[in-house]
Amino acid sequence: MALRGIKVLELAGLAPAPFCGMILADFGADVLRVDKIGSDTNVDTLGNGKKSIALNLKHPDGVTIVRNLAKKSDVLIEPFRAGVMEKLGLGPDILLKDNPKLIYARMTGYGQTGPFAKSAGHDINYLALSGLLSLFGRKHEKPVFPVNYAADFAGGGLICALGVTLALLERQKSGLGQVVDSSMVEGTAYVGSFLYRSQVLPMWGRQRGENILDTGAHFYEVYETKDGKYVSVGALEPQFYAKLIEGLGIDEDEAPHFGDFDKLKVLFEAKFREKTLKEWCAIFDGTDACVAPVLSLEEAPKHPHNLERGSFEGGVPKPAPVLSRTPGKSKGVEKLPQVGEHTRAVLASVGYSEGDINKLVENGVIDVCKSKL
Amino acid sequence: MALRGIKVLELAGLAPAPFCGMILADFGADVLRVDKIGSDTNVDTLGNGKKSIALNLKHPDGVTIVRNLAKKSDVLIEPFRAGVMEKLGLGPDILLKDNPKLIYARMTGYGQTGPFAKSAGHDINYLALSGLLSLFGRKHEKPVFPVNYAADFAGGGLICALGVTLALLERQKSGLGQVVDSSMVEGTAYVGSFLYRSQVLPMWGRQRGENILDTGAHFYEVYETKDGKYVSVGALEPQFYAKLVEGLGIDEDEAPHFGDFDKLKVLFEAKFREKTLEEWCAIFDGTDACVAPVLSLEEAPKHPHNLERGSFEGGVPKPAPVLSRTPGKSKGMEKLPQVGEHTRAVLASVGYSEGDINKLVENGVIDVCKSKL
Repeated sequence: MALRGIKVLELAGLAPAPFCGMILADFGADVLRVDKIGSDTNVDTLGNGKKSIALNLKHPDGVTIVRNLAKKSDVLIEPFRAGVMEKLGLGPDILLKDNPKLIYARMTGYGQTGPFAKSAGHDINYLALSGLLSLFGRKHEKPVFPVNYAADFAGGGLICALGVTLALLERQKSGLGQVVDSSMVEGTAYVGSFLYRSQVLPMWGRQRGENILDTGAHFYEVYETKDGKYVSVGALEPQFYAKLIEGLGIDEDEAPHFGDFDKLKVLFEAKFREKTLKEWCAIFDGTDACVAPVLSLEEAPKHPHNLERGSFEGGVPKPAPVLSRTPGKSKGVEKLPQVGEHTRAVLASVGYSEGDINKLVENGVIDVCKSKL
Repeated sequence: MALRGIKVLELAGLAPAPFCGMILADFGADVLRVDKIGSDTNVDTLGNGKKSIALNLKHPDGVTIVRNLAKKSDVLIEPFRAGVMEKLGLGPDILLKDNPKLIYARMTGYGQTGPFAKSAGHDINYLALSGLLSLFGRKHEKPVFPVNYAADFAGGGLICALGVTLALLERQKSGLGQVVDSSMVEGTAYVGSFLYRSQVLPMWGRQRGENILDTGAHFYEVYETKDGKYVSVGALEPQFYAKLVEGLGIDEDEAPHFGDFDKLKVLFEAKFREKTLEEWCAIFDGTDACVAPVLSLEEAPKHPHNLERGSFEGGVPKPAPVLSRTPGKSKGMEKLPQVGEHTRAVLASVGYSEGDINKLVENGVIDVCKSKL
């Protein structure tokens, strides 16, 4: 696999950093998560297939352990606010001096610098500061965020994983690591580059919710069916629109492609309510009308297309994209690590004796899984 | 830069493929876009800094040119429906035989296989089939899509770029290329892995729009201000919620963190309408209340935090994440290529004589930029 042999040290945090670690693990890397001593419950649902060591980072011996592990790692991912790692004595200056080949990835909301760098925040705030939240949502509604997909994951963990992979590639040439400053505000804005750069085109220019791509048009919207489910309609091109209204049983005179959008939405709403989702799929599946059912998380893995593609395993998405010769392999079906499950084994592998380890447990520097004692 | 020296051949298409090419270009690759002969207008707003050659792919000589270019390329990106490249005689079997080191990236909505593989679609449809659209939007509304951010860009071009980079990394070890099958349905679902995998946690379990992260909670929502602008509020943790109610001038008894969400939303709505956005920012900026202004595309580049970070250049987002030693450099400031602008130069560089080139123009195989004649 693409990242076989790559060792990742992931300092435990919320969504974005574990997601970055998950991607790297899915594509072959060995990911060791550093958990805080005393954190029993495992709420990291992206932790499948990772190892866990539990350390007390407030104890100098705990910090030393991280340094020792970082010397033998290829990648470190840290999720803390700007300055925290430096205060712990684990800043990039120190760790890159120990190990110049280290890729030191810093996964934050606001980035390492700037007036908000030390402020708390969440996906919704980073999405707001990126400029993109102002574009999302229908015109009669407040702007609405797509749960925490946009900044935590797309503009966060995924952008960070891209940066890590680029840095690993560059390291092949230079022999050197570097710092990856992954800000969710910036990542989100960058993923939305098209939304920024295309504003000059005629398809924009109206208020939020009145443009072609942002719910303004009747031919690019979600509609409710007779049985209270939903279809997605995305017939942008004239030849696809023709197929759409054919399937709806409407004349193009009644429903011109670029007519009165609001009136036409009312017409389409009424039309789609005439049949169930199943009936609409029977009409539209496999055509070019650009109509597809809005599937739930339970339905998506079972949809015939996704089933045949093999897109899901155990009900969760498999790694994307699919590399033909060296595909990723989802860790999603492996077990979640117990916090501290691999503490002993990992320390032993980097030269700590059983005596050392026992002492560290006594001194409250490390946690080992109770069941392993 | 990480991708210096990498040659990318990008067959022109809509949003996702150009975005993938844009990312690779921003991180140092040379991207040559193959445009369709006769397409004069340049609507690819992600094309800055790319070169353009204009070819007639229905003419065998045009196809031969692509084969010749692919032999000298590291990456090919094609955006066509499954089977189109094969029909043109440019399928992966042929091109990988010519050039076993080629990374052959196939950027589609539904993927190369499966019952929908030959159907037309757009972002909204792929998002629907991924299962994620069913999670987005407030409870009293139909599901709503975040323009075309989710599938075209996050689950599309960005996932494809990740796959290409992983394949380039793997190629360093194996010396071989491979096919990257980038399906937007799968990419989108994969980026939403947390949304899939975390359903078991207590923070989920209610209808869309009634959970903590999906607009259900008063402390994780967007609110309108006195002057008709919006703030984002994301105070998930108790210590941040305390700062939030403090800044709002409310007692936590009046507004318990986990009280009646709908009632508390009404209270918060009234509160936020009491002051302008500027006044709220004066209260909350730099605190841990997790409150941030919802900025427009014009405002985001000028916000003090983004300004100091240098997140934008010429009003558009710079490449993310920031690699400390070998950062990406936005091509967004460079000019858009004219369709066919580099046809002559590119063909000359791969050994075509001026006589050859003129003949190809005469026979309608290629287009050169009028101004270059």
